Amino acid sequence: MTTDHNSARHVVVRLDGVHKEYGDAKALDGLSLEITAGDAVAVMGPSGCGKSTLLNMVAGLDRPTSGTVEVHGHDLGKLNETGLALFRRRNVGMIFQFFNLIDDLPVLDNVALAAQLTGTPARQARRRALELLDELGVAERRNNYPATLSGGERQRVAVARALMNRPALLLADEPTGALDSRSGEQVMDLLIDLNQIGQTLLIVTHDPQLATRCASRLIEVADGRVARESTLEATA
Amino acid sequence: MSAVWTASRAAVKRRRLQTFVIGLVVLCSTTTVLLALALLSAASGPFDKAYAEQRGAHTVATFDTTKVSQEQLARTARQPGVETAAGPFGQTVVDIPKDWLWMAGGTLTVVGRADPAGPVDRIELLEGHWATAPGEIVVNWSAQGSPGTALLGTKLETSGGTTLTVVGFATSMSKSASAWVTPEQMAALHPSSAQMLYRFTDSSTEDRLSASLARATTGLPKESLTGAQTYLTLKQAFSALADSYLPFMTLFGILGLLVSTLIVGNVVSGAVVSGYRHIGVLKALGFTPSQVVAVYLTMLSVPAVVGCVLGTLAGNALARPILKVAFTGIDVGRASVGNISPWLSVVCLVGMPALVLLAALVPALRAHRLPAARAISAGGAPRAGRGLRVQRMLGATRLPRPVSLGLGQPFARPGRTLLTMAAIVLGVTTVTLSTGLTSTMVAYGNVGREDGGARIHVTTGGSGNDRTPSRLSDLQIEKRLRSLPGAEGVRARALSQVNMAGQTQPVFADFYRGDDSLYDHTIVKGRAPSAAGEIVAGPAFLTQRGLKLGDRVTLELNGRKITATVVGRLIEGDARALEATWRTLARLAPDAHATEYTVRLAPGADARAHAEAVAALDPGLHASVMDSGNAGTATVVTFSTVFTVLLTLVASLGVFNTVLLNIRERRRDLGMLKSIGMTPRQVVVMTVTSVAGLGAVGGLLGIPLGIVAHRLVVDNVGVVDFPASMKDVWHAPQLAAMLMAGVAIAVLGALVPARSAARMTIASVLHTE
Ligand SMILES: Nc1ncnc2c1ncn2[C@@H]1O[C@H](COP(=O)(O)OP(=O)(O)O)[C@@H](O)[C@H]1O
Ligand SMILES: [Mg+2]
Repeated sequence: MTTDHNSARHVVVRLDGVHKEYGDAKALDGLSLEITAGDAVAVMGPSGCGKSTLLNMVAGLDRPTSGTVEVHGHDLGKLNETGLALFRRRNVGMIFQFFNLIDDLPVLDNVALAAQLTGTPARQARRRALELLDELGVAERRNNYPATLSGGERQRVAVARALMNRPALLLADEPTGALDSRSGEQVMDLLIDLNQIGQTLLIVTHDPQLATRCASRLIEVADGRVARESTLEATA
Repeated sequence: MSAVWTASRAAVKRRRLQTFVIGLVVLCSTTTVLLALALLSAASGPFDKAYAEQRGAHTVATFDTTKVSQEQLARTARQPGVETAAGPFGQTVVDIPKDWLWMAGGTLTVVGRADPAGPVDRIELLEGHWATAPGEIVVNWSAQGSPGTALLGTKLETSGGTTLTVVGFATSMSKSASAWVTPEQMAALHPSSAQMLYRFTDSSTEDRLSASLARATTGLPKESLTGAQTYLTLKQAFSALADSYLPFMTLFGILGLLVSTLIVGNVVSGAVVSGYRHIGVLKALGFTPSQVVAVYLTMLSVPAVVGCVLGTLAGNALARPILKVAFTGIDVGRASVGNISPWLSVVCLVGMPALVLLAALVPALRAHRLPAARAISAGGAPRAGRGLRVQRMLGATRLPRPVSLGLGQPFARPGRTLLTMAAIVLGVTTVTLSTGLTSTMVAYGNVGREDGGARIHVTTGGSGNDRTPSRLSDLQIEKRLRSLPGAEGVRARALSQVNMAGQTQPVFADFYRGDDSLYDHTIVKGRAPSAAGEIVAGPAFLTQRGLKLGDRVTLELNGRKITATVVGRLIEGDARALEATWRTLARLAPDAHATEYTVRLAPGADARAHAEAVAALDPGLHASVMDSGNAGTATVVTFSTVFTVLLTLVASLGVFNTVLLNIRERRRDLGMLKSIGMTPRQVVVMTVTSVAGLGAVGGLLGIPLGIVAHRLVVDNVGVVDFPASMKDVWHAPQLAAMLMAGVAIAVLGALVPARSAARMTIASVLHTE
């Protein structure tokens, strides 16, 4: 949507020798990675191997102990907290396993929120939110509260929210992990559709089916580094 | 039980900050409560305590010995209802010449007593010794301190030709006599009356006292009882000033108790509610419901007990100096103020933990019934209701989103919000009340100083042992004082005790001559006295005697009488004092002279230099610069400040705690908001707004309450009749400042947790919950 796929395919994400330690534990151990615009990258690996940490690095939610993280031309190590927040607003959208919607707000406001934070007036933000909800097939739930939605519906609302600010990069951490298989498939289809129109994706999962269906590249992580990389045939 | 202990210990460890806040809140609250209780007991206690120590007489009864015999009187001591009695002691009235000792003349009630001790009315000897031989007399000294030894040996000639020598000064709290001689000497004076001192078993009210006296004196000849004075009158006069401040002290005490209770309740119940998920986990682990309750009570009892013990210690340490300062100037006679009864500490040590446990028990019992699964999901459980509609409406406004999100937060937890708000409201009420009182009291303390000039107080004859008589006459002194450079006005004063028809006790009359500009500021109703027979007095004097402007009274001094009219009401005054001009005194005592002068200086004149110039006029003149403070002002300002600081602190801690709990509960939401680009600043704005709204509402409610409370207090200070100008202390900028105080209390409490929320690492939070 935002990525212009007629231009030369440029590098959106570049990780170089990223280490992350939590006390004695090494979550990332010299991980390097490049993602180009329009890619759909799936990250797989055993539990605790550092997948979520990797995603958090790319989202600017956490800082590496050493190494550089560059996203869409920003060296995240050079940004302060506010800089990171502004970076996230414009460049990344995130989807989580447990949706992380605000229970106190109806669906429409949950989605509109992302734009309102940047100062977009409520009316305009709600209009765009409604468009997205409509595209994602949950427009009729706009006035409901998250707690009354099914898991699949909630995840679609979360996707809508992630797309509000037209991010260059969509990050998803086990987006189907909390869903039944049918809802999971719907969310997968949604991600495939987004990639088809040029959205760069970075999906963490340990569901091989999700990886193979959605991704064009598969990165396997073990013990905090890239163990294997392969290119997949899109099966959409 | 050991599982409970382990779990409690772990819970305390995991919530160090929260535990610390609870401890701190309990500490501050306990200090406040202890101070409030000490204040309440000090304001009412000192007289009773001292009176009991002196075995003061509940009733001093005077009998006509021509109508009743000694034996009959002695028998009244054994009547039912009489606890103990002393007497009969012979009693007579002796005339004293003008200016005998420090008295303006008049009469002395003399009683014959062999022993200053005894079952009733222990007399405290201040100087010299008790009268043991004929011709010796001990004089009552009722002021504070001691008259010194210089005046011992002063002689008094009675009209019957007896010479009495002053051998001692003593004080009787019962005020049973003005002087004492031996019983033998009394017999020689041929008394026509006798005194009985009673302590009754029931002494609570005036009615009971007169009933008890009637019972004790049944069977005595008619009209043999000529007078009776109960200790309640003494008590009233004694603590008149202390009592007059009671309304506002009580109010501060009550505010302190209320705010403390509310905050402790809020903090403690919040701790339990925020632990519901933890409770669910404990239940899933196999804790029985009672064990869960036990875990929570144990967890809270640690900070509760520690905070309470430290708070009690702090309160005890603080109360004494604070009470001392606060009571400077309030005459409590020989009673001691600032001794805090250990009972107050006991009340705090038992009461505060009990309050904490009670506050914890209510939500803990709810958790007790909560199924484990529901408890586990408590944080993310679906909520619905009014709060959500408000959030929606706010989302559509033009406010920046972090602000509207913050404004909506209080609606998510209405119970907690209400308690927090109540704390803010009461905090603002206190601030409003105390600033109002301070303004009023400062204005009041400045009465007579509006012109900006200092005042010099000049006395003749010195004090204590130094009693050089003045070489100059009264009028000469006044003239010299007037002619000193810098003097704008001189006011001469003579003080005398005069009898007022229909009153058993004499009243103090101040007679003034010269500069009466002070009346421009101190007369709140009517006008200043001018002609002979015009008097003015303070509200207490007038109210206690049912007098109003235009009423007439008869004053008598040394046999001369004058009919006087009340022409004005003073802003304040002793319940036993009235004021008149020199013209009135000239009619009562033509050759009286002034003993004190007040020199009003021009603004900017050097007061100290002037005082020295006055002293140089005549070695018999003693000049001092009148201090600008006012005892009442000190009392009010001290307590206002102390309670304002304490209550603001406690209220801020309450807000702090609320924000802390909200953040803990909203960690996941905060993480998500940050992940979609909420900046640290926006987090702070949102969090602070979530309570600033409460602060603003708290301010809007608290300010009117504070104004009403202020009005109630100033209208009920019995000895002072504040004019409207001193009561109307509220102005728009000040009110705006008060409103800001509410917001400030809230923001202050919210800022620290808000900033820590802004810095919170959120990467992990987003997955785990
Ligand atoms: N906030 C944290 N504090 C301490 N250790 C962490 C934190 N986040 C992750 N870890 C550790 O880092 C390693 C990688 O975690 P993570 O990236 O979440 O793994 P996964 O691949 O399952 O998503 C794990 O051993 C985990 O325990
Ligand atoms: Mg993970």
